[in-house]
Amino acid sequence: MNYHRYIDLDVINGPGNRCTLFVSGCEHKCPGCYNASTWPADSGHPFTDAEADRIIDDLQDTRIIRRGLSLSGGDPLFPGNCEEVLKLVRRVKTECPGKDIWLWTGYRLENLSPAQKAVLEYVDVLVDGPFVQAKRDPSLLFRGSSNQRILDLTAEHQLAESA
Amino acid sequence: MTTISSAIQSTLFDTPNSLPYPVVRKRDGSYTPFSLERISQAIYKAGRAAGIDDFAYAGQVTALVTAKFLGQEETCVTEVQDLIENELMAGQNKAIARAYIEYRHDRDKARERSSKLNREIQGLVEQSNAELLNENANKDARVIPTQRDLLAGIIAKHYAKQYLLPKDVVVAHESGDLHYHDLDYAPFFPMFNCMLVDLEGMLTRGFKMGNAEIEPPKSIATATAVTAQIIAQVASHIYGGTTINRIDEALAPYVTASYEKHLATGKEWGVPDAEAYARKLTEKECYDAFQSLEYEVNTLHTSNGQTPFVTLGFGLGESWESRLIQMSILKNRIRGLGRQNKTPVFPKLVFAIKEGLNRKAGDPNYDIKQIALECASKRMYPDILNYDQTVAVTGSFKYPMGCRSFLGQYCDDNGEVHEGRNNLGVVSLNLPRIALEAKGNEARFFDILDQRLMLARKALDTRIARLQEVRARVAPILYMEGACGVRLKPDDTIAELFKNGRASISLGYIGLHETINALYGDEKHLFDSDTLRDKAIGIIKVLKQAVTQWKEETGYGFSLYSTPSENLCDRFCRLDLKKFGQILGVTDKGYYTNSFHLDVEKKVNPYDKLDFECVYPPIANGGFICYGEYPNMQHNLEALEAIWDYSYDKAPYYGTNTPIDECYECNFTGEFECTSSGFTCPSCGNNDPARVSVTRRVCGYLGNPDSRPFNAGKQEEVKRRIKHL
Repeated sequence: MNYHRYIDLDVINGPGNRCTLFVSGCEHKCPGCYNASTWPADSGHPFTDAEADRIIDDLQDTRIIRRGLSLSGGDPLFPGNCEEVLKLVRRVKTECPGKDIWLWTGYRLENLSPAQKAVLEYVDVLVDGPFVQAKRDPSLLFRGSSNQRILDLTAEHQLAESA
Repeated sequence: MTTISSAIQSTLFDTPNSLPYPVVRKRDGSYTPFSLERISQAIYKAGRAAGIDDFAYAGQVTALVTAKFLGQEETCVTEVQDLIENELMAGQNKAIARAYIEYRHDRDKARERSSKLNREIQGLVEQSNAELLNENANKDARVIPTQRDLLAGIIAKHYAKQYLLPKDVVVAHESGDLHYHDLDYAPFFPMFNCMLVDLEGMLTRGFKMGNAEIEPPKSIATATAVTAQIIAQVASHIYGGTTINRIDEALAPYVTASYEKHLATGKEWGVPDAEAYARKLTEKECYDAFQSLEYEVNTLHTSNGQTPFVTLGFGLGESWESRLIQMSILKNRIRGLGRQNKTPVFPKLVFAIKEGLNRKAGDPNYDIKQIALECASKRMYPDILNYDQTVAVTGSFKYPMGCRSFLGQYCDDNGEVHEGRNNLGVVSLNLPRIALEAKGNEARFFDILDQRLMLARKALDTRIARLQEVRARVAPILYMEGACGVRLKPDDTIAELFKNGRASISLGYIGLHETINALYGDEKHLFDSDTLRDKAIGIIKVLKQAVTQWKEETGYGFSLYSTPSENLCDRFCRLDLKKFGQILGVTDKGYYTNSFHLDVEKKVNPYDKLDFECVYPPIANGGFICYGEYPNMQHNLEALEAIWDYSYDKAPYYGTNTPIDECYECNFTGEFECTSSGFTCPSCGNNDPARVSVTRRVCGYLGNPDSRPFNAGKQEEVKRRIKHL
C-alpha cells in the first residue's frame, strides 16, 4: 500500500486530537474530489512498518494525547489496501487501548466485501458513500456531500461480541 | 550707546547699503535686503563662541564675502552662508570657522525639527501620513476627536523630545536604538500606562464623577452602567489598558441586590415560587446588564480618541452570583454585537482556569469552562489565565493590565494588594540592532547591550521623575475618587503610590528571533537548536538581571516586559533595513518578531510552540502572552480543550487564534485572504469593510484590520502566520 500524507497531529478530521493517514488508491473517482491526486494506487510513498510504528508511537504519546486515528485517502477500503489497513487497525486496537478509529470510504456499508468488512471490525466510526457534487454542502461536519453518513459502529461491535 | 554691530559697521563700512548688493531669498520664499550687519554679526558671534573677541577680523571677512555678491541681483540665505563658511575656512582663524559651522549645523537641526513638526501636522490635516494614521489599530484617524488627540500627540511628542528628555535618550529613540513608548502622551503629560481599577472600592464607598455623586449601586444593571462610566473616565486619564480585575467577584454583591429586589417584588405580589421567579428575573437582568456594558465599551470614545482598551478578568468566583456574571459575559460575547452579530474586539476577555474549580470534569465550574471554550472558538476571546502558573511566575494571582502587563507581588499593612495598582510605562530595546552592530561577536553584543541598558534605565527614570511633583488633582478619578485604590486630597502628591513595587515600570524588548539570526546566522533555526535556545534564554536573563538590579537600587518595581510591538515591529525593522541593508533572516521580512515569540513562519504544532515559549514568562514576568494559530475549532472543542489543559502546567497566559472572519455578501465564515493590500473574502472576493468582519490578533489585543489597517510590517507578519495545526 502507498500513502500520500501523514498528519501526526490533526484537529480537522474527526473529534479531538488525531493522527490522520491519507492512503493512495481510489476507484470511485468522484467528480469534484478534493484529493484527486491520491487516486492512483501507485502514487505517494510506500507504507512500511516504519510508518506504522510511527503511528503507533504517536497514538501512545503521553505528552500530546491523541483521541485516535483517522484513515482517509484515497480510500482505505480500496481492495488493494484492505490487507495493509487491516494490519494497521489491528495493531492500533491491541497496542493503543482506548484509541478510536475513524475511517472514510467511498463505498456504502451495505455493499462491502468480506475483506472490507474485516477492517470494519476494528473501526469505531465509518463515514461512507461517494462524494456527490450536486449534494455538496460545506457546512456538513466531517463530510463533503449530504448523501454521506457518519455511522457509529461501536454499538454493532458490542452486539457482535455479546452474540 | 553704540552697539557692537553698529560699531563694526560704522568703522568699516561707511555707506554699505548704497552699493548694488543682491536681494536675499529666505527659506520661506520671502525676500530681505542684503545686510552687511547680519553677516558681520554672525562672524563676530562665532568668534566670541570660539573665545576670540575680534571686530576687525569679522570686518575683514565680511568685506571679502560681500565683494563676491557685488552686482548680483538675487541670492539666497544658503549661498551667503556657504560663502561665509568658505572665507572663514580659508582664513587664518580656523577656530572661528569651526564655531560658525557648528552654529549653522545646530540652527539647521532646530529648523528641521520645527519644520518636521509642521510636516507632521500637515500629514494629519491632509490625511497623508500613513505611519501616523495607522500607528494604532484602535484609532480611527478619520474622525475629528481622534484627529484632536493625534494633534495633541504630535505636539506632546515634539515638546518632550525638544525640552523634556535627555538628548542621548532622544537620539537613541529617533535612531531606533530603543523606543520610548507612548511619547504622544508621556512625559509631556504626567500620565501612566495601564492599571487594575479598584472597582470594588469605588462602588462600595461611592465616588464623585464630574458633577455627580455616585452612590453604591442597588442592582447589577446600575452597577455595570456605573462600571462603564468609570472605564470611560479612567481610560481618558491613562494611555494604556484599563483592566477590571476579578469583575465576577467585584460585581457579585449587586447581583445579590437585584435578586433580593426581585424576591421582595415576588413576595409582595404573591408569586407562588417567589425564589424561582427572582432567580429567573435576576438571570435576565444580569445578562442584559453585561450586554449593555459590552455595548457601552464599544460605543465609547475616550478623550484619547479611541475605544478604551478594556480588559475584563473573570472566572474564579464560585458563588451563584459570580457564576451568573461569568456566564453573562461569555454568552453575550458568543452572541456578538449588533444586527450582524459581529465579533467585538473590546473588552478583551481573560478567563481564569483553576485546578479544582473549573479545570476538569466534575469541578464545580467545569460547565463554565465549556462555555468559555465555545466562546473562544467563535470569538477568539477569552484568552485564558492559568491560576497556578500565574502565581508561580508573578508571585500572586491577578489579571494582566491591558493586554499583557503583569504586576508583581505587593503587600501593605492589610496584606496582598492588586486593585488600584498600575504600570508607569515602557521603554523597549531594539535587540536585533545590537546584534547587527556586534557583527556576530557575542562579547561585543553584550558590551553594547550593557550600554543600551544604561540608556534605557535613564529613559525609564524620566518617567518616574515626571510624576514626582504631580498633584492628585490632575486626575481626580484616579487619585481622589478611588480608581488607584486611594482617596487623596487635590494638592496631595501622588509619587508615593508608585514606590516599593506598588507600581511596575518596564523594560521591553522585541525581536529575539532576529537577534539570534543576526548573531549566529540563520542556517539553523532557533527552534531546532538547543544551543541557540540557550543563547536566546541567556540574552533575556541578562535583561532580567538589569531590571532586578534597578529594582534593588531604587525600590521601584522595574520589570521585564515582552513588548507586543504592534507598531514597533515595523518601525525598528524599517530603521535597521535603512541602516544595515537587507540581511537574511533579520531585516528582510519588513517586521521584527514579537518579544520572545516563535518566528510566525515556523511550522510546529501548538504543543511544541508552547514548550518553546514557556521558558520565557518566568524570566520576563513583567509582561508576556503565548498564543497559537488554529484552524476553525468550533466543531472540535475537545481538541481546543486539550491545548488549554496542556497550557495549564506550562504557561500562565494563553490565547488561541482561530479564523472567525465573516462575509456579509456571501455568508462565508472562516479565514479571509490576507494580502499586502488588505483582506478579501476567499469565496466571493468581497473586501468592502462595511460588508465584512475580519478579526486578527494584533498583539495581546484583537483588531479589525479591515476597517483600521495595520501598518505595513504588521500586515506582513499577519500574512506570514502559519497555522500550528
